Amino acid sequence: MATEIKPGRKRLTLGSVGADLLLVFWFVFSLFPIAWMVLLALKTDTEQTTTYFAFSPTFDNFGTVMSQRGTDLTSVDFAGALVSSVLNCGGAVLVSLLIGIPAAYAAGRWKYRGSEDLMFQMLSFRFAPELMVVVPLFVIYNQTGLFDTTYGMIWVLQLVTMPLVVWILRSYFQDLSAELEQAALLDGYTRRRAFVMVALPLVRPGIAAAALLAFIFAWNNYVFPLILTDSNATTVTVAVTKFLGGGGQAYYNLTAAAALIGALPPLLLALTIQRYLVRGLSFGAVKA
Amino acid sequence: MTTTTAEPASLTLENLRKTYVARGREPFEAVKGMDLKIRPGELIALLGPSGCGKTTTLRMIAGLETVTAGNIKIGDRVVQDLPPGKRDIGVGFESYALYPPLSVRENLAYGLKARGVKGAREMVGRIAERLEMTELLELRPASLSSGQKQRVALARALIRNPRVLLLDEPLSHLDAAQRQRVRRELKVLQREFGYTTIVVTHDQLEALSLADRMAVMNAGVVEQFGTPDEIYDNPANVFVADFVGEPKINLFEGTVERRGGDVHVRVGREGTLRTAVGDADDGRPVTVGLRPQDARPAADDEAGVPAEVAVYEDFMEFGLATVEVAGVDGRIVVQTPHGVHWRRGDIRRIAARPDRVYLFDTDSGGRIR
Repeated sequence: MATEIKPGRKRLTLGSVGADLLLVFWFVFSLFPIAWMVLLALKTDTEQTTTYFAFSPTFDNFGTVMSQRGTDLTSVDFAGALVSSVLNCGGAVLVSLLIGIPAAYAAGRWKYRGSEDLMFQMLSFRFAPELMVVVPLFVIYNQTGLFDTTYGMIWVLQLVTMPLVVWILRSYFQDLSAELEQAALLDGYTRRRAFVMVALPLVRPGIAAAALLAFIFAWNNYVFPLILTDSNATTVTVAVTKFLGGGGQAYYNLTAAAALIGALPPLLLALTIQRYLVRGLSFGAVKA
Repeated sequence: MTTTTAEPASLTLENLRKTYVARGREPFEAVKGMDLKIRPGELIALLGPSGCGKTTTLRMIAGLETVTAGNIKIGDRVVQDLPPGKRDIGVGFESYALYPPLSVRENLAYGLKARGVKGAREMVGRIAERLEMTELLELRPASLSSGQKQRVALARALIRNPRVLLLDEPLSHLDAAQRQRVRRELKVLQREFGYTTIVVTHDQLEALSLADRMAVMNAGVVEQFGTPDEIYDNPANVFVADFVGEPKINLFEGTVERRGGDVHVRVGREGTLRTAVGDADDGRPVTVGLRPQDARPAADDEAGVPAEVAVYEDFMEFGLATVEVAGVDGRIVVQTPHGVHWRRGDIRRIAARPDRVYLFDTDSGGRIR
């Protein structure tokens, strides 16, 4: 056809070139801190405050961070903090999914007295600054023995993740036609099986998205582990800052290296569940 | 599982009620004591505006909604306390309720799998053949047209050989051309399969053309239950008369005037219509119902209502004249037959067969006979 447009080839106009230039500028601007951090992580102690781009890179910092060799930062158990973070955040997300999925389903399917208030209240956990609640929590944790434990961290982090999971998944369940489950009921399925066999598979992309988002939020949380943990259950976010000079000298290169390692788990998780994030699986279910 | 069609069953609703109770709000009565006896193999339409309780009734029969009071019987079996899967009912949902990740074949087999029915593959093949949709079996719902989806939904409802088939707005998502075709197919299939069927619809054409008998519902109450002929020719009240019929029936004020043995109704300042109503006192104010199809020019020696044509629309196979009558609020629509052409400004005397001039009580809306 005469008017066929070849894929991947756009006409060059002043506007499109300008837009591309703007995008490039934006990319450079937003990626610069990350690039800077990568460079910093590769510098030696003596070069860490320099601003050259030309230097002899070293990978020693990563080893140092993981093993604490060769510095005076003996109190930073970064490898341990990495494990704690995975346990804390994984646990919080798991709890949020186990309780949040049924809660989201109920909230999405049925209206009952106070259901909207309940949902709003759950969201309101996110309104209060964490600093406001962390002090009373510290006192409670100290008295109940939850201080510096994985259970304690899972409990407090699910306050962060649960509202996310419930709110995201509720809208997924609402988008799903209830008639799909009703058809299953008529086929002889029980309510529970209709939920598990029909509704749940169709919201899998939503579950993946909610879980990932919740994990990232929990992973990046700083205030709760800072106040509510010491050395046992402390997390990456807190441990990273220790390289900034708890022991005297600030090690910016080690901080950068630690931060890079700390960013890996959420990244790996995102790449792993990426294939479940495809939406559109449930499209066409309702629309005629 | 038998290979032949299950024996169609009767369906009886006795004083069926549904009341929604929300704290702090007035209880809402969606269905207010409904009685309906449906004979085996009959096709019934529940017709009414949205919110009239027709879908609630359907969902109660299917078991998707609890029953506040009353009984639902399929054959002799009382079913209102059984779970939906045990009632032997097939439902064609308005949204078709097809499972998107599964092919049509898998969708059809899905319900059989739940019961562990053997020979599912053969049953799917058989129903697909009967509904002439074998070529659709390997497709996904997303690639089907609305008409095809409707057909798959129907096959899904029928595959278990239910004793009663319920269809919720089966034609509402189809375009006009498909609607006509599927409507005919539905009727042919229902006759052939012989299922006791209830169709819920808000479209009176659909109800009139499909149903053996139809229930016209309004605000949770069955206003009239009868054959399409009875509903159309003999409406029980203003609501039924107004809801059924296209173009809409003309409703206007009049006063009963007895002349010797005849009963007339005075319309406007100068005209009267003769009516076959017997039981009306002289001088009683009434609401007059006159269908556009029944209105015609009066003969010279006949009582009539003089009217001036305000608008005339010619649709070739018929015409619609919108006329004004002195002393009557609103306009009256008259349908003229093929080959007759009225013009704007014409003065016509309108009359109708006396048994086609309906009188209703002005307050209650009930028919005066």
